[in-house]
Amino acid sequence: MNNEVRERRETRDMSQADLAAAVGVTRQTINSIERDRYDPSLALAFELAEFFDCRIEELFRPERGEE
Amino acid sequence: MTESATEPGGIGDSSPVATRRRYRRLLVGTIVVGVLAALGLRRVGYPLVGEAAYWLGVLGFLAVWWASPVTLFDERDRDIERRASHATLLAAAVSLPVVASAARLVTWLDLVAVPSVVWGALYGYTALFGVFGLAYGWLRRRR
Repeated sequence: MNNEVRERRETRDMSQADLAAAVGVTRQTINSIERDRYDPSLALAFELAEFFDCRIEELFRPERGEE
Repeated sequence: MTESATEPGGIGDSSPVATRRRYRRLLVGTIVVGVLAALGLRRVGYPLVGEAAYWLGVLGFLAVWWASPVTLFDERDRDIERRASHATLLAAAVSLPVVASAARLVTWLDLVAVPSVVWGALYGYTALFGVFGLAYGWLRRRR
């Protein structure tokens, strides 16, 4: 799953720890999402979209042929 | 390197990352100290006191988990646990039939006397799969 979490976080000049605290997860989780190593749950994806004030599909884009 | 109160990550650092690290260390530390104390006390002839130390460690672990002001484990940790559990179960599912069959064969053919501890482990694994089956059935019915 591709995502724009890093870009949007950096636009707001936030650290991974700040974003993690804001959405109630650990910094490692934000790091893993940004590196496309972990796909967040639907609840967390909505939480992130709400935080960045955007639609969920603007933040996350499934890759073609993905499981 | 010694942690300083003024450095990020030092003992005075109250950021969520540092707090989480501190609480996770405390979480693991309480259970490790409890287990080591239990083993040590058992070894020097105080098994009951050792058992009490063990339970203090367990209760300390739960207390730290409950009292932590930061998220110690989140959905990614649970995902990792789920994957690790799956890998463990898969390894057991592959090895159990092979080892059990080999143990039966060597016993029937009078080649080797399989130690009772091996039979105990095999029955333990079988019971574990029984519990897995019950949990799977229960969860499937709920979904």
